[in-house]
Parts: sequence; structure tokens; C-alpha cells
Amino acid sequence: MADKKKDMVGYTQQPGKLPFARPGSGGKDTFSRLQDKELIPESQGGERKQQWGPHKHDELVSSTAIGKRTPLIDGRWKVTGQAQYGDDVRMNGELIGKILRSPHHHALVKSVDTSKAEALAGVVAVATGIDATRKFGVLPVTKDEHAMAVEKVRHVGDLVACVAAEDEATAMHALQLIEVEYEILDSIHDIKQGLEDSESPIHDRGKYHIGESNIQKRVFQEFGDVAGIDNNAVANSKSKWKFGGVNHGFTEPHAVAANWDPSGRLTLYTPQQVPHYLHRALADVLEIPMHQINVYRTFVGGGFGGKSDPFPHEMCAAILARKSGRPVRITFDREEVFWVNRGRHPSLIEMNLHADDEGRLCGIETDALIDGGAFASFGHVTTYYNGVLHTAPYEIGAFHYTGARVWTNKPASGAMRGHGAVNSRCAVEVGVDEIAEKLEVDPITFRLANLLPPHSATITGFRVTSIGMRECLERVRAACNWENRFRKLPLGHGIGIGCGFFISGSGLPIHWDPNKFPHATVHLKIDMDGGVTVHTGAAEIGQGSDTVVAQSVAEVLGLPLDMIRIRSKESDTSPVDLGSYSSRVTFMNANAAITAAMKIRDELLTATAEITGANKKHLVIGDRRIFDKLNPAVGVSYLEALHKAQEERGALIASGAYRTPPMGRMHKGAAAGLAPAYSFSAYAAEVKVDPETGQTRVLKVWAAHDCGKALNPLAVEGQIIGSCHMGMGQVLSEEMKYGRSGHLMNPNLLDYKIPTVHEMPEVVPIIVESNDPEGPFGAKEAGEGPLLPILPAVCNAVYDAIGVRVNELPITPDRIEKRIATLCKELGIDDPLDLPSPRLTHSDLQSTLETRAEEHAERDLARRLNEAREEYHNGALFGLDPTIAGDEQDSRWEVAVLPTDDYMASPRLAGSAWKHTERRHRGDGN
Amino acid sequence: MPPFTLHMPDSLDEALALAGKLQNGGLEFDWVAGGTDLLPNYKWHLNHKPNVISLANVEELTTLTASHIGAMVRLNDLVESEDTHSLVQEAAGSIASILIRRSGTVGGNICLDTRCFWFNQGEEWRESIDWCLKCDCGTGADCRVIPNQNTLCVATYQADLAPALMCLGATIHLASPGGKREMLLADFFQEDGITRNLLEAGEMVTHITLPEEATSLEGAYQKLRLRESWDFPEAGVAAAWRVAGGKLLDLRVATTGLESIPKLHREEADSAREDWAGQSSVNGLSEIIRKAVKPVNNTFFPPSYRRKMVRILAKRALSKLQDISAAN
Repeated sequence: MADKKKDMVGYTQQPGKLPFARPGSGGKDTFSRLQDKELIPESQGGERKQQWGPHKHDELVSSTAIGKRTPLIDGRWKVTGQAQYGDDVRMNGELIGKILRSPHHHALVKSVDTSKAEALAGVVAVATGIDATRKFGVLPVTKDEHAMAVEKVRHVGDLVACVAAEDEATAMHALQLIEVEYEILDSIHDIKQGLEDSESPIHDRGKYHIGESNIQKRVFQEFGDVAGIDNNAVANSKSKWKFGGVNHGFTEPHAVAANWDPSGRLTLYTPQQVPHYLHRALADVLEIPMHQINVYRTFVGGGFGGKSDPFPHEMCAAILARKSGRPVRITFDREEVFWVNRGRHPSLIEMNLHADDEGRLCGIETDALIDGGAFASFGHVTTYYNGVLHTAPYEIGAFHYTGARVWTNKPASGAMRGHGAVNSRCAVEVGVDEIAEKLEVDPITFRLANLLPPHSATITGFRVTSIGMRECLERVRAACNWENRFRKLPLGHGIGIGCGFFISGSGLPIHWDPNKFPHATVHLKIDMDGGVTVHTGAAEIGQGSDTVVAQSVAEVLGLPLDMIRIRSKESDTSPVDLGSYSSRVTFMNANAAITAAMKIRDELLTATAEITGANKKHLVIGDRRIFDKLNPAVGVSYLEALHKAQEERGALIASGAYRTPPMGRMHKGAAAGLAPAYSFSAYAAEVKVDPETGQTRVLKVWAAHDCGKALNPLAVEGQIIGSCHMGMGQVLSEEMKYGRSGHLMNPNLLDYKIPTVHEMPEVVPIIVESNDPEGPFGAKEAGEGPLLPILPAVCNAVYDAIGVRVNELPITPDRIEKRIATLCKELGIDDPLDLPSPRLTHSDLQSTLETRAEEHAERDLARRLNEAREEYHNGALFGLDPTIAGDEQDSRWEVAVLPTDDYMASPRLAGSAWKHTERRHRGDGN
Repeated sequence: MPPFTLHMPDSLDEALALAGKLQNGGLEFDWVAGGTDLLPNYKWHLNHKPNVISLANVEELTTLTASHIGAMVRLNDLVESEDTHSLVQEAAGSIASILIRRSGTVGGNICLDTRCFWFNQGEEWRESIDWCLKCDCGTGADCRVIPNQNTLCVATYQADLAPALMCLGATIHLASPGGKREMLLADFFQEDGITRNLLEAGEMVTHITLPEEATSLEGAYQKLRLRESWDFPEAGVAAAWRVAGGKLLDLRVATTGLESIPKLHREEADSAREDWAGQSSVNGLSEIIRKAVKPVNNTFFPPSYRRKMVRILAKRALSKLQDISAAN
């Protein structure tokens, strides 16, 4: 009896009454499952091999959720039609909002007469620019948007006014009754024209305006021995690229619903990737405090960067709801999606790569002129990313970058999956292919002999931690049978390689915060039922952020996933998260979740120690059971420990946060491209090109991506395959086409050509896990980086197939056919079917590179496993001391962020943006 | 979608009577079959009418035999029927996507509205270019493809069935409140992107018939488009021939997706057949067909490319004749 009593600590009833039943372990299964030793790391006595060493989160591994192929936890909601997307929100008494848009590219709005519209029966509210005159924009440094035109319209489709009416037909009728008087201004459609002075620049930035031009942002950067490039180089690849603008093409058009409730608070329902910045912008534009607004993120039907700005239509819905006193819903049609755009910038990129006689990349010179369309959006960052994000994975002798972003009278460009890195990466990787060809070496060997080692600094001073680039290349090479196929396939059939490098979360938040706010915060609440409520602001946009945070918490607490419930939709209940952009969520939010869960875990261990008398240090968590690892028979169920921990205080709550460590250097622009970790990838693509029609078909893709650690391999593979599809669209067929009158000619999904299932090749995903020391359980991003390599891999495969070097995307058949015809002419061949197929005979350099690659492989492994490793700065390959940054030891490696007079004597295209003087330097008092 | 009154007659007679009634009342209407062409256009407010007569319940238009193809036969049924001529099957199987083929009909495909990227756009978009000739919304707007020639619409006919059927010598049968008539399909189309064909107001296609000799013809259809599914033809070449004992007895070639009507190249094919000499004739005729068409800049691919590809498509469509010689 005495023993039994002791067993029931905490569960005895009053004397004379029956005792409570002992609680089970929690969860649906009656019995706890044994730990899966294959998932427990070696460092904890398990069987999971750790070729790249242990990880700080190893002791948290309970073999419950991490590393398991897990269907996304909200998947059933979607496939059963129960998920509420933006347009599924329905409210009592709601009105339908419609937007009047500009029919002109660029015009002053002289007057807007809404009286007839207001008089129409069924119209409840009409709003125009004067209802919200404050500017907004996603980046605080470049706020240049209004809810509706205040003084002018800047592209066809720009917002002029909006109407809320009882039904859609009435709202549309009302739009026709609004009379707008325009004074048409000259419009700019050619990106190059944006560099020149203009009589009526699209925006006036006052003191900071660059000349009288439409230049929104310009960048000049020089690192390394730029002056020495010409002397050092023995092989060059120089190309001038033209990239069409592309749109995200997500399934769900933008939709928003706003409700100003009886308490006087606004709830805005919107499929947003970045609810927090919208929250800030709404408060600013509506001139109400943030706490009066609840931003409710609905299910998001695809974002890819296209739902990450605060949008004018979101302001419109709120304004109409305030004016009408009733809920207002606005849903876009596809044309409007194209008008709001924020897709990838149309770009002109000049890419010059140089290699020296030892087969090293002694210089990359990039000049990128990008077409921002009518608004700044994320463009400030995009301008930097077009340069700085190709300073890895290769060790380089010099880096010269000039970039400029101009405003034109087109729908605004912005952030899109692979933000800013995709186009220039494509140009770099095609350039590397050409350089390797000129050096007569294998392009994979060339890459393997020029990689930065793990835990190193790039030429621009980015701190790079884990690097799985080498393994990506090696595994892809083996998987695709490269040795027997590259330059050996018949005409029209080819294989090509391309690599990628991308940030895993941006190092700095968009809103510069001197108060050191965290980037991500997660709250946990557990009550006596044992279920864990996770409050997070991370925006689930289909990428699986809810699932990954649930997995992280489940893993640390040893719980099945169905005991975790995620509340991530409302700003009222969610702690601030910066949003789903720059591939930051898994890295930052899972880290925050782990920190929070560790606090709960500690409380559970303390309670278990109290109940069992075991040494807390020896306690481990298994599936809903906490036990002594030295004597597994000693332990309690999860619920027992939980209830003990809850004594006298009720629900357990914990908060965890993540903030990036201090990083980077001090030069102007040094923060752009900083990330706590970087992902790497290498893809091989096999294509067929019809020599007569120029049609390209991608047959198969082998896609290796280093995501650090696949928390959910199923989701990682999904991201890789989806990235291949999206990137293939940009390389093969997708393009926002502008006609001779400057109009967007294909704002619909019939003429904007996203590849269908017929075009989709087989993709073989290869997950590489480099075990990032700071990533959650070693993880890095897998959402954007996997897009980068598919473009150059296809382009290089096209060359292998037909001998045509691509420098314009998309490679629609008409463009390839033209190049084939030109090639035929050059070679004096009548029939393209008689073209020679590219072949390769290795030069002596090949064996030198192979040897170097082998040495570097050993170097890399040693650096990975040695915690006390020395610093390694880009430049060591060129004879510099690896432990010191190049510019601190060699005057030729000096950093420059302003062009010299010498450079300005003959600037490159985007570089010519520096011809203009910023107004503030003129002392003209503006 | 603009509002309209939908009429659902159960028989051809009822449908024609209804059409007559609307016409007499001065009311404009459209026929709708599968709706895959008309309704997207309506959604964009392209020449929409206040009345629409649906033929969905008119059973007698769905007859399908080897020589008789009802206007309301679904494209997918045409593809799957064993009675369908292989050339028609090939062309029909390449139309749009399987989802659209399950809805789209033979009559609808033959009468497909012409397309142009200045025309197939939303209302706001078209307003921003000040409208165009094909849908001028009462403004008398000019053609945006070739300005200052305000007489002819150059919108492109982008349907696949017509060239195949033309090569097989098909006859098209029409009906209207005023009576019935028939003509060779090759004579049905008339150069103009707005009127497109000889259908008069209130008139409709009831069926297509194929002559006896069609069964003795072989053929091939080649189509240019960016994606394998869904996209309209940017160019299409159908060829049909009869060969006996290695000799070419009959040869027809028709093109689509290049001008505002499909074209049967009778003279070109006949004169090539007379001295057919295998591969060189394939090349020669392909070049002649290329020269015979004049695409304009109003579809996805530039016209220069489409025209160039006509030669390649023709060459591929005729590839089975590369070892064949002339009959005499």
C-alpha cells in the first residue's frame, strides 16, 4: 500500500475517496514508442552518422519528428477545401470593393470627380488618393507608394480610386461613372532610358534624387585585385545578357477583406507573406496606432515574393471599410495580379569572368541594370543582390560590381524566389562553363578546384559557415553519369551543370532596429491536456513553416505532431515575426521555437527529477516519456511530468527568440547579402534541342541542394522540384512581354507561359546535409536557393546539345532558332542538322585542377571537423595570408565603393548611373 | 461576366425557331456550343450579346460516324472514336488540353473566333490602348497590328481541325431560320478577322461530311506552339495524300494559325504532285507553302519565326513522301 501511494504522487484524492486514474502518456497511442536509434546522432549514443561532426542541438533529438518525411500539417485543410484563402473570407453585411485603374502609362491626375458614382444606388463608399496621402513601401528608405494616385499615375493599372458597393456589378458600374481628368506625361519604357535625365522623372526623391534621372538606386563595389585582372587573365568569358521580367504566377490572385469592428479596431484579412510590415504600413497610412489593427493572414495560395509588399489594395480595403462602416472585400482578377506584379526585374547584365593560367577565377566583373518598374518595392536590396550574391561559392581574385535600378512606367518589379540572385547567377554559371571550355577543362572539375572552404569569408566579407557545395557537385556528377555524357552526346542532345548560392535568412531586418528586436519569436503554452499551442507570426505560405515549427517543438518535447497546434495567423496573438522572405523562416523561427521548447523541456526534466529522484543531468525525453538514460526503467510519462510542473501555477508558457549574430564588414552596402548561413546547390540538366525549330525540352534534372539538415525531407524535395519548375519557366518560356506601345501584352495565364505538366521533366532531388552549426538541428534554407542552378544548367546543356551560347532569357524557340541560323552561317553550313556537336579534349590544366580539387577536399574536411580552425578569407588561393582579409594585407586588394574618375571616363552601362550627382551634393537646398 | 439571357432549346428546329424569333425582334444573339471560346471572350467583354442560345441539349447535332461529324460532337469524343479519320484524330488530339477537349466541340473549333494580342485582353486593358478594330466599342478604332488600313481585321485563325478537314475534302453544312445550305469547307472561310467565314447572322453549323474518297487518304498534321498543351497553334500544316505502288496519286496541303483564315493550298500541292520526286519535292513544296503565307505580329511568336517554321512543319508533315515519285 505504501508503495502504491508513493507511485501516485500528485494524484491522490481526499482521504476515503478513490484515487484519480493515473494519466496516460498523452497522445492517441496508449504506449510510448521506442526511440529510433537511426535518428539519434552518434554524439548521443545513437546510430545516425555525423560525418561532419556533432551539433549543438544533438541532445534535443528525441527521434520524434525531425528528419522524417512529414506531410505538411495543413495539407488536409487544403485538399478537403476547408482552408480559407483570401477570397474565402465572408462577413455579414460585406461590400464588394473594386479599383479604378489608370489607362495611361504616366499622367498627372488633374481631378477626380466621384459624385456620379456616389449617387449610384448600391454604392456605399468611394475613395481616392486624398483619403490617404501618406507614402508607404516595404523598405523604410524607399517609401514611394500611395494607396491611390495622389498627384499622378505611373503605369497602366496604377490605382486611381476605389468603390465599395452592395455587389460586384454595381461596383463595376460605379467605376465607369468616376470622371478623371489626366494630363499625359512622357513615359519611359526602355530600361536604358531610365539612366538619362528626364523632364518629368517618375518620382521625385527631393534631396536624394540622382540628377534628373529615373535612377532609384546605384551601387559601385570593388574588391580584390581588380586592376590586375587583365594581366592575370589567360581566358575570358564576356557576355551581355538580357533577362525578361517574370511574374510569380502563384495560383491565388491577391484578395483582401477589411473589417472595422464595433470596438473600433481594424481586422485585415489578407494572404500576406510579411504580415508584420503590412501591419506597420497600415498604421502609418491609416494614421492609427498599430495596436488598433489585427492583421489576419489567411491561407496563402502561393507567394514566392509576390505577396510580401504592403499593397495599395490592402490600404484601399481598409479605407473603404472605415468610410462605409461595413466589411469590404476586394479580389483581383489575373490582369490585376500582373499590374501589381513585384516579379523578377527585367535586366541587362554584362558579365565578364576571367581565369588565370592556374585555372583560378582571377576576376568577376558584373554590371547589372535592372528595371524596377514604377515603384521601389524591394529594389534597393535587389540592386545589391545582383552583385554580392555571386561572390561565392568560388574563391575569386577580384570582384567589380556596378548596379543600378531605374524606375520605368511599368508594373513594379520586386522580390521573387531567389531574389536578385537568379539572373546574375545564371550569367556567372554560363560564364564559368565558357571559361572551362576555353581552358579545355571539365566544368565540374574547374568548379571543384575553385571552391571556398567551409567557415570562411567571401571577398565581400560575408561570413560563410557550412558549405556542402563540393558534395553537391560530386553527387550530381555521379548521379547523371557526367563522365560518359558531357560533350559526348549527339547533336541536339546535351547535358549541363549549374550551381547556386543563396542566403538563409537576411542578416539584418528590413526595419533597422537599434533596440535589437529579435527577428523571430515563438511562444509556447501547454496546459493540463498536454497539447502544445505554438504562437508564431511566421507566415505559412505553403512552404511548410507551420509544419517545421511544429516539428521542432515536437522533437524537443518528444511529442507526436498531432499534439502540437499552431496559431500563426493573427497579429493579435502572434509574437512578431519578420515574415516569409529571404528564406529566413526555418532558420530563424525554428531556432526561436527550439529555444522556447528548451525552456519547457527543462521544466519537465526538473519535475521528473523531483518525482523520480533521478539525476536531472541523466534525464532524456523519448516519445511522451521522460526517463533516466542510464536506467531507462526509471521515468515518468510526459503528462505526469507536465502536471507536476504545473503545480501551483497552471499552464506552462515559454518564449524563445532568435536574432542573428553580429556579422560582416563596415563598407557601404556591407550589410546587403549578409546571412547567418548560406545554402548551396548544383544541378545537372539533360535537354534535347530541335536544331530546326529551336525548341528545347528538358528531359531530366539531377538536383543536389545543401540545406544543412533536412528537417522534413519530403518538404525539401517538394521545394527542389517546385523550384525546378519555376526556374524552368523563366529559362524556357515565361516573360512579361511589353509591346511597342509599352503595354504589357500577356497579362493572363494563357499568354504568360508557365510550363505545364507536359514540359516538366523528371527531377531527381539529392539532399545534401552539411550540418550548419547555427541552424536548427543543422538546417538551412531550401525554399529559394534551389531555384538558382536550374537556369544555367539548362543554358549550359543547350550549348552542349547544339553549340549555341545563350545570353537571353527565356530561350523561346524563336530565339534559339535565330542563334542556330547565325551559327550555321558562321560555319558555312546550310542545314542545321549538319552542325557539329560540341566536343572537349582536356588540356594539361585538367590534371592540375583535379589535383587541386583533391587537396581542397581534404582541406575542407579538416576545417569542418576542427572547431579550433583558423580564419580563412577569400584570397588565400591567390597567395594571400588566409587569416587576414585581403584588403588588410595587400594594397592592391583595397575596397572601393565609389567610382574613380578613371572609371567614369568610360563607365559600363549601369555604372553610368554615377554620372549624375545626387542633389544633396549640389547644395541646391532641396 | 456581362449578364445575358441563356436559351436552351431541345432540338434543331426549336433552336432555329428561337433564332428567328430573336432576329425578328431585332435582338442580337450568339450560339454557344462548348463555351470554351465564347465564354472567356464574354468574360473580357469582347463583343458580347444580350442573348445566348445554347446547343447543349440538341441531340441531333452529336451524330458521329466516319463520314458525318455533328457540330456538337465533343473534340475528345472525336479523338477517341474509332471511326474518326487518322488525320482528323491527330489534329483534334492536339487541340488545347484534354479538359478543354472534353467541353469544346467540332463546330466551335471550326468557327473559333480569330485571335490577336491587341484583342484578347480585358476591358480595362483595351481601353488603355483606345480599343481596336475587332472590338471598337463604338469608337471606330483602328487596327493596332497594322495601323492606317482601317478595312481588314488581321486577327489570326488559330484552330486545328479546319486544315485537316479541308485536306480530306470536307463539306460543311449550315442551317438558319431561312433554310439550309452546304459548301466545301475550303470555301467556307473568308479573309477578314471579324467576319471570318460565310456564316450569316442567325446561321449555324450543323455538321461536317467527308467524301467517300477521304478513307483512301493518309495524312499528317504538324503544329507549332510553345507548350505541348493548351497553347493555340502558332502555325499548323496539314497534309493528305494517296499513294499507290510508290506513286503519288493525290496530294493536299492546308495551313492554319498564320492568317485570319485557314488555307487549302490547292494549286501549290497539285503542281508539286505532277513532278513529285521524293525528298527534293518535299523541300520544294515546303518552301512554296512558306512563301504562300503571310503571318502578322499578333500572336506569341514573331511572324518571321512562324513563317520560317511553316517550311519545317510542312517538311515534317510530308516526310512520308520522301521516297515517293510522281504518278506519270
